[in-house]
Amino acid sequence: MDMAARFQDQQVFHMTGRRSGDGLAALDKSPMRPALFAGYRDLTRLRHDFPLVLVESGITDGYAVSLTLLVNHVIETLAPRGIEGERLRKHVLRLERELRAGLAGGAEGDLSELWATAAAKLASDADESVSKVLALAGDSLGVDGALVDCDDRLPSRFMIHAWRHVQAQKASVFHGHLDRLQRRLSDILRAAFVRSEAGQRPDALRASVGGMHADDFDFTAMSRLVSRNAPKDQLPASRRRRIEWALSVLTSQRFHASRSLPGSGEASYGFLFDNVAEAVAAYRERLPQVVELVKAIAIAELEARNDYDEKDHDPFFEAYDANSLTADDLALFPDYLVCIPVGRNDLPENASLMDTLSSGLPVKVVVQVTDLLEEASIGTGHFAFGVRSARLATAAMGLGGMFVLQAASSSLYRLRNRIEHGMGCSGPALFSVFAGAPEAAGELPRYLTAAAAMESRAFPAFVYDAAAGENWATRFSIEHNRNPEIDWAKEPFEYADEQMQRVRGESAFTYADFAMCDKRNAAHFAVVPRDRWTSAMMPAVDWLALPEREATERIPYLLAVDGDDALHRVLVDARMMQATKRCLLLWHRIQEHAGIHDSHAERLLAREKAAWEISRNQELDALRKASAGAPTVVSEAPPPAAGAVAAAVAASAPPPEEKPPSDDPWIETARCPSCNECQLINPELFLYNENKQAYIKDANARTFRQLVEAAETCQVAIIHPGKPRNPDEPGLEELMKRAEAFN
Amino acid sequence: MAKPLSQCIIKLHEEQHNLEDYQGGVPRWCNGCGDNAILAAVQRLCRDENLAPEETVFVSGIGCSSRFPHYMKTYGFHGIHGRAFPIAQGVKMARPDLNVFVNTGDGDCCSIGAAHWIHAIRYNMNLTVILHDNHVYGLTKKQASPTSPIGFKSNTTPRGSILEALNPLTVTLGVQNVSFVAQGVDWIPELLYDIVSRAFHHRGFSFIRIIQRCPEFLPKMFEPWLHDPGKTLLLTHANGLQPSAELARTYKNQREHDPLDIHRAREIASSEDPIPVGILYQNPEVPCYEDLRGAGGPRTVEAIRKGLDAEFDKFTFWPDDGNQSRAA
Repeated sequence: MDMAARFQDQQVFHMTGRRSGDGLAALDKSPMRPALFAGYRDLTRLRHDFPLVLVESGITDGYAVSLTLLVNHVIETLAPRGIEGERLRKHVLRLERELRAGLAGGAEGDLSELWATAAAKLASDADESVSKVLALAGDSLGVDGALVDCDDRLPSRFMIHAWRHVQAQKASVFHGHLDRLQRRLSDILRAAFVRSEAGQRPDALRASVGGMHADDFDFTAMSRLVSRNAPKDQLPASRRRRIEWALSVLTSQRFHASRSLPGSGEASYGFLFDNVAEAVAAYRERLPQVVELVKAIAIAELEARNDYDEKDHDPFFEAYDANSLTADDLALFPDYLVCIPVGRNDLPENASLMDTLSSGLPVKVVVQVTDLLEEASIGTGHFAFGVRSARLATAAMGLGGMFVLQAASSSLYRLRNRIEHGMGCSGPALFSVFAGAPEAAGELPRYLTAAAAMESRAFPAFVYDAAAGENWATRFSIEHNRNPEIDWAKEPFEYADEQMQRVRGESAFTYADFAMCDKRNAAHFAVVPRDRWTSAMMPAVDWLALPEREATERIPYLLAVDGDDALHRVLVDARMMQATKRCLLLWHRIQEHAGIHDSHAERLLAREKAAWEISRNQELDALRKASAGAPTVVSEAPPPAAGAVAAAVAASAPPPEEKPPSDDPWIETARCPSCNECQLINPELFLYNENKQAYIKDANARTFRQLVEAAETCQVAIIHPGKPRNPDEPGLEELMKRAEAFN
Repeated sequence: MAKPLSQCIIKLHEEQHNLEDYQGGVPRWCNGCGDNAILAAVQRLCRDENLAPEETVFVSGIGCSSRFPHYMKTYGFHGIHGRAFPIAQGVKMARPDLNVFVNTGDGDCCSIGAAHWIHAIRYNMNLTVILHDNHVYGLTKKQASPTSPIGFKSNTTPRGSILEALNPLTVTLGVQNVSFVAQGVDWIPELLYDIVSRAFHHRGFSFIRIIQRCPEFLPKMFEPWLHDPGKTLLLTHANGLQPSAELARTYKNQREHDPLDIHRAREIASSEDPIPVGILYQNPEVPCYEDLRGAGGPRTVEAIRKGLDAEFDKFTFWPDDGNQSRAA
């Protein structure tokens, strides 16, 4: 077959998606994966950040920790450097691999259980010392909790865990605060009782002494004695009622589960829901209790400080209702967590979700996205780009005051601090997580699918935190993507050519690469055998950069590997390339939000640059002309920069003295060290201002002698006597001579 | 915790205080004494920060300076010689919510109280410490103190003191966990106030040495510095002092010094002429002892009983207690 015919076949495929002739193999016949995945065939043998331990107990900084890090820590603490530690290191690493394989095979449980199971399995093939060593290593892990892999259930499990972690911290602060108030209020009531008539009755006194020495006292006599001498001030009835009411509300609150008496009283409220409507209904239903508790806390706080003023506060609390609640008040309460299950994030649900988010309620919503690769419902064959859910996060950002995080499930661990922050923020938050579509399961591990979605820009990671600042620059971040500053993420790529020589290069990962991972898209790709390669074929990423006219003459391909890791070229049809282009456009928009290739800024920059160049050229021309005419003059004139400096110096030079010398006496008040010396001489002449520094109050309430003496005694010499007012004052000549030193 | 409703209401009805509200008794210090300037600066701080008098405590030892609590209308504790620090630390442990100040003199702190001083630095509790350093025991009528200059003739050193003076700044800067060291002089009130304010806002042991005049027993000692502003070195920095334009015009001898640089701080602290004035060292990262110990826990009847029982148990003997028995 000649070159032209080959090209034609490929062209037809590219344009129509139809394979004609025998030169092009369908992708579903020979399964391929993107070439960059060649190294990640078996994730259980690869030490990466998964699986994770969702920490329930143990000493660690965060709520989740990577198994790899834990094992590293065990090895560092237990196995000595060098050959002595080698055996232990090997066993522990084998066990780590065993744990990964177990999880991939569907095992579930806490780290300690799984560790014990895996250790038993390894030890059964070896001697007893191995089981001892592994048990020792297991004991020194230091943390425990569910061990989870990057699977379909990860997003909800991880998010619920993060939410629980944040709520536990919140509850601890809340209870600390509440306990303190309860104690203070109880103390007030107890003190009131002790002073009351009932508290001074013999039986009450007997009870307060205790059993051991009760018989040694005559409590009737004591009661008589005590009640005669006790102060008579009683707790006013209204205050008692208020305190008792506040105390009863504080003790019976059901928002944060009670620490001291678990299971006592009514059960505490649940805050975990699987749809927004129920969460909102629960919020509404509990609103009266919220208002009551906020009021009770405020009243308790005032009562504990004895600051409650019925005149001021009664009308305030009477008018206090649900509309008065602020975000700071709501921040005391647990947040509602809504985990929308995979199948339920359809349009009606999303609409009520948007309503809820925009209302500012303290609801944290987790949406699991699956539909990145589905075709549009109207049946044009175009990709829908997750209209249902993936763009949810972008829309939520548009609503403003909230926290929005979008990420693939593979990067949840890396984003754990951001997630914790988002769960802890006051107000609503939306977490949109892609974990791969269940329909596409099988070929690739979930970890890779999720990572591919993020890396291909199909589902870029971003964080929008409205509380972080006033503008997009402080609120929005895409730093967690790979190479966020360029179009497609690039990875180093190495392979062996036909001569078995190493070839090093870089390979970009595009949306088309990501789409190739899903079998449902096989029709958009065709494998070209080596002998059918033509010079018209070019890498898809370069093809995208071509002007449209040139692009029609070339055919884009991707690098892929088969089951034996042999490298192939896979042609991409025009529809898929169009989708790739659209993905890039969406990525550009996100980049612009983050200030990368900001079109407004670039336009401004270009304008300023042009203006600057014009003015520079004009200056240069002027200089050239000047130097051609009269060289000596130019050299004498100060260069513009020096002139500017001189101007700046003049601007920053200190202003002239505040008080020019005059005939009136004056004091440099700001320098007065309040030492009282001048006040001793004439307290009507020298007075202190609001900062306790001296000034001259009444210039007439003085003799010139007093002023001169004050100036002489002032240690910091800040009193300036001026000239005498009364020319008849005795000894004026001598005084004026003495005053000279201070004027 | 955020500022919810209760905090807003409390703020709404908070009392505003002016300077006179903090004035206790009439000071009995000599006229011209530098203590007056310190009192004025501290009262200004209390007013500007609107410190509730019932939540503010001044603790002192013995000496002229230690009369300070009498002149403040707040809580006060005029302690025993050299023991201002342990008392203040006890107050802070029991009530970490209070604003605790320590007023101590060069004799009280650097001589009899030196051991407490060193350990108080190391404990780094959130106290504002003002060392009134007038270089002499004034209350007992002129004896040499640890900071008296060499050659100083006093009742205890009639032929002139023969020892080099101790430098409280270098000592403080040499102790582990030091977190704030500053120096002021009583005759520049603007900087004195700024330093006291900075010290108050620092969370930790804020140590300010204030060089002050004693008009009675060392009347001429600081005259050269009073008359020549060039002999005062102002330490300026974005994280330190920023003197007003007017002051900067008088005190031209300035140096930019980063308060995080402890080595440079030690070098500057060693200088006696010119006198450095400003924030020498500030490190907000040093942990406070009261935080490490979780001070301010609930004082319930049970907690008090448990603590007392534990104390009494040290002096009792339980024959059936097995190997846990203890005898005093």
